[in-house]
Amino acid sequence: MTAAAVALDGLVAVPFVFGVLTLVLGRRRHGGAAIAAAVTGGLVTLGWSIWAVVASGSVLRPAYVDVSWIVALDVRWHLGLDGMSGPLVLMTTLVVACCLVALVRNAPECGGRAGLAALLLVVETGVLGSFLALDMVLFFMFFEVALIPMWFVIDGWGDPHDAAGRRRAATRFLVFTVLGSAMMLVGFLLVHTATGTFDIVRIAASYHPHGALAIGAAVLVGLGLAVKTPLWPLHIWLPDAHAKAPTVGSVVLAAVLLKLGTYGLLRFWMPVTNASWDLLVPFVAGLAVVGIVYAALACLVQTELKRLIAYSSVGHMGFVVLAVATFTVAGVQAAVYASIAHALITGLLFFVAGGIKDRYGTGDLSRLTVLYGRVPRLAGIFAFAAFASLGLPGLAGFWGEMLTVRSALFGAPALPHTTYIVLAVIAAFGVILTTAYFLALMRRMLQGTPAAVQPVNEDVASIELATTEVEPASPVAGAVRPDVNAMEWVAWSPLIALTLVLGVAPGFLLTPVAAAARTFFGGL
Amino acid sequence: MVQPVDWMAIAAPLILAGVAVLVLLVDAFAPPGAGRARLTARPGAPREVPVAAVLTVVGVLGAAVPAALSWDQRRGTFCVPHGPCSFVLDRFTLVFWSVVLFGTLVVALMQTAAPKAATPPGEWNFLLLCSATGALTIAASRDLVTLVVSLEVVSLPAFAMVGLRRGIPGAAEAALKFFLVSVVSTAVMLMGVSLLYGATGSVYLRGISSGITSGGPLQRVALVGALLAIVGLAFKVAAVPFHMWVPDTYVGAPVAVAAYLSVVSKSAGFVGLMLLLGFGLPTLAGVWAPVLAVLAALTMTVGNVIALRQQHAVRLLAWSSVAQAGYILVPFGAVASGRAAFGASIGYLAIYAVMNLGAFAVAGVVGSRRPTQRIADYAGLVHEKPLVGWALAFALVALAGLPPGILGLFAKVVVFDAAAGPVTWLAVVMAVNVAIGLVYYVRWLVELFRPSYDGESFTTPRGAGLAVLLTFVAGIVLSVLPGLLLDPFTTVLAQR
Repeated sequence: MTAAAVALDGLVAVPFVFGVLTLVLGRRRHGGAAIAAAVTGGLVTLGWSIWAVVASGSVLRPAYVDVSWIVALDVRWHLGLDGMSGPLVLMTTLVVACCLVALVRNAPECGGRAGLAALLLVVETGVLGSFLALDMVLFFMFFEVALIPMWFVIDGWGDPHDAAGRRRAATRFLVFTVLGSAMMLVGFLLVHTATGTFDIVRIAASYHPHGALAIGAAVLVGLGLAVKTPLWPLHIWLPDAHAKAPTVGSVVLAAVLLKLGTYGLLRFWMPVTNASWDLLVPFVAGLAVVGIVYAALACLVQTELKRLIAYSSVGHMGFVVLAVATFTVAGVQAAVYASIAHALITGLLFFVAGGIKDRYGTGDLSRLTVLYGRVPRLAGIFAFAAFASLGLPGLAGFWGEMLTVRSALFGAPALPHTTYIVLAVIAAFGVILTTAYFLALMRRMLQGTPAAVQPVNEDVASIELATTEVEPASPVAGAVRPDVNAMEWVAWSPLIALTLVLGVAPGFLLTPVAAAARTFFGGL
Repeated sequence: MVQPVDWMAIAAPLILAGVAVLVLLVDAFAPPGAGRARLTARPGAPREVPVAAVLTVVGVLGAAVPAALSWDQRRGTFCVPHGPCSFVLDRFTLVFWSVVLFGTLVVALMQTAAPKAATPPGEWNFLLLCSATGALTIAASRDLVTLVVSLEVVSLPAFAMVGLRRGIPGAAEAALKFFLVSVVSTAVMLMGVSLLYGATGSVYLRGISSGITSGGPLQRVALVGALLAIVGLAFKVAAVPFHMWVPDTYVGAPVAVAAYLSVVSKSAGFVGLMLLLGFGLPTLAGVWAPVLAVLAALTMTVGNVIALRQQHAVRLLAWSSVAQAGYILVPFGAVASGRAAFGASIGYLAIYAVMNLGAFAVAGVVGSRRPTQRIADYAGLVHEKPLVGWALAFALVALAGLPPGILGLFAKVVVFDAAAGPVTWLAVVMAVNVAIGLVYYVRWLVELFRPSYDGESFTTPRGAGLAVLLTFVAGIVLSVLPGLLLDPFTTVLAQR
């Protein structure tokens, strides 16, 4: 077994082992030891992933890990890491590590922190396995690994005020995703009947899809991944799931689990799809653009902070899908870049939203005002993330959207050029709408005049809030907890730093992606 | 003329039948207190040795020995000179034997948890072994007469097993319902079989197969016969719309018997279908494959949708087993491309046996203390009884087909694999059904992790605990190495 093989196998095994360890320690009532084990696990996995990415390089070499697993089904244990999956792997391990660190101080109200941490590590196992898998059935299997743990995360630790709602959200998430992934599996099996292999590297190199069967397969695979991504109109599971999940659950859902869909589109959908088919690919691109505009309009009318961020995710994923649907190397670059940027920024937004909810007990936008005045640092970080998310140049979000629109203007030759120009223009219009709702949000939630808050009596000099008993529609009472604490700084600062770094120097991410895409797709 | 008998080939059913008689005799003649020896030195915990159950387990293990020894061989006996044989021992047969023997073993262990006063163990185990003998024979049968007789040998003791509970009013109803449905289905099947015999002039599957290829005006008669026989067998496997007896029978019967019906008896039905259709009527596949595809779609959809509303654990498992039967039927709809597609059904059936027995074994353990069997009775099981709780959690997740129950996931992959291509629409229907099924499995699953029901602890009956452990370990091992089971089972028909 070579060092690289150990790196890849270990990357799947390490979080799982630490997850089980956390669970066992948690059951023995060693809460502190359990959370320590979980954080250690997160950090070890992060370190391990850096080693694995460095050891693997940016191009897929003849497989390090490729052994037969189930002969009867032709399923192989085939793992690999290249410039397309490497950044996503690093992003995953980083975000999960941040979530675990965040759990140290912010224990969930209902207890069972060790269980939550263990579930996050198991989710990480599934996600890393999906990013590493180069066998279609293996990808499907790892894709499903994360589902049951995530269901427990939403159902067990979700919104404490709405038990029925979080159950409904969790079950809807599960059913939608499983329906999608079962469709995807059928599609994979159809591809297998056409090509005789589940090995996506060989398929990408030599499969030329044509005929009704191939179209059916591409539609089914696309459908499954579109549910996960999510692509409008299959996004309806997402706002509920994100809004009802606990903070770390929302972060992992948005930053990590959605990327299974976008990565799947890049790695497993593009090779089984033919860009010269009349309708399929432009249709997908069209849906993506509809999603961008729809999500922006939906955001304008949201009254709940986490739902708003959730809908903004739908819009960002629309950009990623549009980039994928251009079938160019630039599109692949844009998709990976936008995925990473979205993970960092939306992860940060959900962290801050969770921080606000922890402090004020509500995410109701009609009750949150003047946060600049009350928790200036928290509000500042939120503003930073919001600017990054609306695509301010110099931050990571900008490049994802800019590259997407650019790649849509220069799509693959087989695609209808005029259609794509129109789509690119509409997508750019969506950027404006995004800016509009984020600015409106900041105006409503962060700014405001102290006059909006009724002082207790006229001669109070400082800003003091009216009352401790909260009326349903009244502005919230003063902060339960003070401004950003040390543990939150530790958990959030990597995301902030990377958002800045990627915004200033996009090149070091784009170069390996391009190299990997050229090698993997050959013809692009 | 003296017909040579290959005793090695028929050793396994013979051993089971012999032990069945032995169990009955020992139970009848043993003095009442003979089994009262103490197994444990723990004070105040006198445990009777369940003699009948121990004998049954030994018998099943004994029957497994000749079966295992014949793994690489092909034996036939009761043959027409230079012609087809009635009793054939090959990979196909042995694969089913392993399912039947595993199922019987687990069921025998489960029943030790049942109160002895209600169910006389001697008679019960006798009936179990008799029925299992029939299940072994049907897998080896290669003519219609042996097939029908073995199927009846499976069913007749099962009626009595369902009803053999004193003082429980539901038991008689369950047994009667099961009996009536079964008798009707047998009658219909016999009608079909006689038509097939009339049309082809042979009772041997091989003879029927070649008799039909010659075509002619009798082909329609054969077709009607085939459809009637399918209907008869569809009752046994509880395919919709022939499933009405399942829920009441499962609920009225002891949990162990419900487990037996859902795994061993159902396997017997499936092996009958495979033999009849795959070996006897492959030339008519163009007609029966679409029929079975529709049956499969109906079965899984109805089973899953009705299971959504169940609050009773065993009733939920009953409907879920209807739905699972639908998945097993899916490859039948895809056999136009060749008999090898049955491999998917066999693989699914074997994995289903492990998962479903696991769920039923836990239901038996919990039912020994909380006989109401509401889903809510399972609250907190993971905290109360970690082994039992995790075993049920694993079985449910596997039945839903999600990791960590990877064996369940690959069982579904195998079936999807058979369906994708020849009957893609059915694969899509199944994909939708997998998502529906998830809802009720997860609803039960979450109960296990809730805070405890009443905090009242209870001891796991030893035999039933062993049954849980057996299925749990088998499930874990097969999740790590699914190829261990799938490689030999799914290719059993492809190699020949």
